[in-house]
Amino acid sequence: MKKAAMDIAIEIEPGLETKRGKEAGREAKTKAGEPHGAAPDADAQTQSGYPDGTTPAGTIDREAEGEARRQPPEAAASEEYAAEVRALRLKFPGTQQLLFRDLSLEIRRGEKVLLLGPSGCGKSTLLQVLGGVIPRVTEVPLKAERLTVPDSAGLVFQDPDTQFCMSYVDEELAFVLENLAVPRGEMDARIEAALREVGLDLPDRHMPIGDLSQGMKQRLALASVLLLEPDALLLDEPSALLDPEGRRTIWEAVRRVSARRTVIIVEHRIEEVLHWVDRIVLLRSDGSILADGAPAGLFGRYRAELREYGVWYPGAWDDAYGGAEAGAADLAAENARRGAPADGEAESPAGTQRPGGEANAPRMAARPAGRAAPGGGEARGEAPAAGAPLLRLRDFRVRRGGRTVCAAEAAEVLPGDLIALVGPNGAGKSSLLLGLMGLLAHEGVCEFGGIAPAGRRAARETAAKHAAFVFQNPEFQFVTNRALDEVAFTLRSEAERALRAGRRPLLGRRPKPDAAAESGMLRRSRGELARFGLAGFEDRHPYLLSLGQKRRLSVASAVVSDKPLLLLDEPTFGQDARNAFAILDLCERLRASGHAVLMVTHELEIADRLATQIWRIEGGRLVSAEHTGRSRSGGAFVSLVSKEGTE
Amino acid sequence: MKRFFEPSYTTWLHRANPALKLILFVALFVMTMFVHHIDASFYLACAFLLLLFVCSGYPLWKTALLTAGFALVFVSASLTMILFGKGAEIWWSFGPIHISKESFYRGLHLGFRSIAFGCQGLLFVLTSSSTGLFYALMQRLKLSPKYAYSFMASIRLLPMVGEELRIRREALAVRGAGGSSGLGGLLRLPERYALPLLAQSIRRAQRTAAAMEVKRFDAGRRRTYYYPSPVTANDAAALLLLAAAVAAAFLLARNLPVFGLGDMRMDP
Repeated sequence: MKKAAMDIAIEIEPGLETKRGKEAGREAKTKAGEPHGAAPDADAQTQSGYPDGTTPAGTIDREAEGEARRQPPEAAASEEYAAEVRALRLKFPGTQQLLFRDLSLEIRRGEKVLLLGPSGCGKSTLLQVLGGVIPRVTEVPLKAERLTVPDSAGLVFQDPDTQFCMSYVDEELAFVLENLAVPRGEMDARIEAALREVGLDLPDRHMPIGDLSQGMKQRLALASVLLLEPDALLLDEPSALLDPEGRRTIWEAVRRVSARRTVIIVEHRIEEVLHWVDRIVLLRSDGSILADGAPAGLFGRYRAELREYGVWYPGAWDDAYGGAEAGAADLAAENARRGAPADGEAESPAGTQRPGGEANAPRMAARPAGRAAPGGGEARGEAPAAGAPLLRLRDFRVRRGGRTVCAAEAAEVLPGDLIALVGPNGAGKSSLLLGLMGLLAHEGVCEFGGIAPAGRRAARETAAKHAAFVFQNPEFQFVTNRALDEVAFTLRSEAERALRAGRRPLLGRRPKPDAAAESGMLRRSRGELARFGLAGFEDRHPYLLSLGQKRRLSVASAVVSDKPLLLLDEPTFGQDARNAFAILDLCERLRASGHAVLMVTHELEIADRLATQIWRIEGGRLVSAEHTGRSRSGGAFVSLVSKEGTE
Repeated sequence: MKRFFEPSYTTWLHRANPALKLILFVALFVMTMFVHHIDASFYLACAFLLLLFVCSGYPLWKTALLTAGFALVFVSASLTMILFGKGAEIWWSFGPIHISKESFYRGLHLGFRSIAFGCQGLLFVLTSSSTGLFYALMQRLKLSPKYAYSFMASIRLLPMVGEELRIRREALAVRGAGGSSGLGGLLRLPERYALPLLAQSIRRAQRTAAAMEVKRFDAGRRRTYYYPSPVTANDAAALLLLAAAVAAAFLLARNLPVFGLGDMRMDP
């Protein structure tokens, strides 16, 4: 089968070349004044059909479909299909592999379809083909025996910030109407109606888009495509970057407007969608269809695939961490077998109260071997006595622009804590973290391991010594051009700081660590990469890693120097289930080895299942810091996902 | 809450058609360029400074804050000419520096002209919104919608880059890479800031472009406009206002000269 694919790829190549040549010609004509993309259907016809007029042999040996639910294409008249592709082949320029090889899919009018599949399997591309964006707007070489797209389709994309070109709500909606050449007199009424339809009640329609929440922005994006009066709505992960509240409202709005429309959805998080879609199309990583059918039957049968693909299906958390009660013992046994630092006892629900220092002592000693690497400077020497708080806040207030953005009267972080920092958007969660790191001005007491620095500079340095910080966007944290250097950078700068503290530098001569220390640091960095499943990617540019790998690298570079406290800002945000569980496992292992983890999160499941404390922040104040039933001295409670190996 | 760049009251200049106003102001620039008498340039600077304070629609303190920079413009424009310009009547000389009567007045003349330029430019900027300007340019001067909407979209993206710069700075500070000063730090600046910000901006611009096309934006097609851009009596009023300012400056220069010197290009 593999070989056949290769043959076809080779065979198809000249055809694609011709295609590209033709496109270039068309583009030239367009420049000469021909209206571009006048008739999408006609366009599609030009794209379809092989240059030599024959059907390639590839169609014959097409893989048998996993599900035989689909009718033969001949049986249905094409009118009842909102979108139809037959024998679609598509390849991005510059890549070797065909993204789709003879893919066929029909979507009936009014059908609500969910496309699922692993990341990189081409779901979004397929959605764009079905929506007529490819090849009409984005020119990608493709062939299809038949390609019918809806007369008008409305697409909503993932990122709420990049779907608008105007600065105000009314202007943005008017932009669509202008494109459709709607007379000025009708615009206001239509804008009003569209906003009402998506449930966006604004006091003033001339409102800056920047003042809307992310969830409201997505509803605005939906309203603006509704003005196109589309037959079909195509949604490309519209809720991936939203908090739970935003997610709920956008899907509510979608449901409200989808009554008589065809809806095609690509989404990782499906709990809000699942109960009203008619059909699920499950793609394999090679872009072929694994299953196609009604949601009910499909979920039972393809649970393993869904888990592997990182889909947030209902029960993903239960599957990863075991059900409410069943899995715990199971997992503990599993962990013990793998030699993870587990000391026999699994969850001890009674351990809500402060565990004694004795309970923690063995944990501190049980740090993974090899982490006591040389050359780390003396920063790690002062690990606080077991049981002593790593971080203590008293009357702590973070200030930004002259006003208090987050206040905490009293709070403590002990070794073995995993704290979920929850609260509504804009409540000051991220500000609290920035304040802890000394990046924002603050007042009050903030002790790291018993040291209370005075002055902002000292605060920042102490914080940097005791706490590692991981920002939401990993790219913003990368400073070098190689994954290995990225991890080593933390060690190097720490070693340099230690050297500099030792002797005064003479006029710009930067003290450099010696060769032995350097090789030690590299060894340690390599070990760290391996621990995070990034072995083999040492020379890769950090930007060229996948989304999940970037996230893991950013955590790896933060924790390599073994600081007792790890602060994370929404580490699972926008990640698929697989990546999210992998990150949580890392945090959980760190926690179990005597570190403390403090993470801002919207994910209530994290708070429920993993956290030892939940800090709730509302209106710029830490309103409660409650202990959950989890013990600080419990063994690492890792998900089942991570034992299947990472990417 | 009012934003900083939001006028608190409007004048004829605000209500005038931005495209025609642009033409008017370009004409003003050209006219200012051809003023060669120091009295005229002095009164022009005064007239437009006054107009700026009265007609920009901003409270006094904001206008004063914005015009404060003109002092620097004045000094930098005139100083070079004053210190190093040629002239016969030397007042003071030290090494390469010769301050002559001619160079001194020429320097002042240049300074006044720069202030006049600055005031005209600021007056235009403060009285026009970018959206209004691009809509007017599309409707009155046949600017291609492709460029107009690209500019408007990019204006929207600018604050996001600012926000990202802040995040990046914080992220680097946390990793201990932010504070490297000196030449090494300076050399690394593009790598550390430009690359990630640029990568993010390109991605964002591409997505925005795709979203625009999905909304059936087609530069070639006929389109309607949300903001009409009519020519009204306000345009005539704006024209008269600006013309009156210029005329007043010239009349004052002739009848009430302060310096009383001739053409600045010749010997004054």
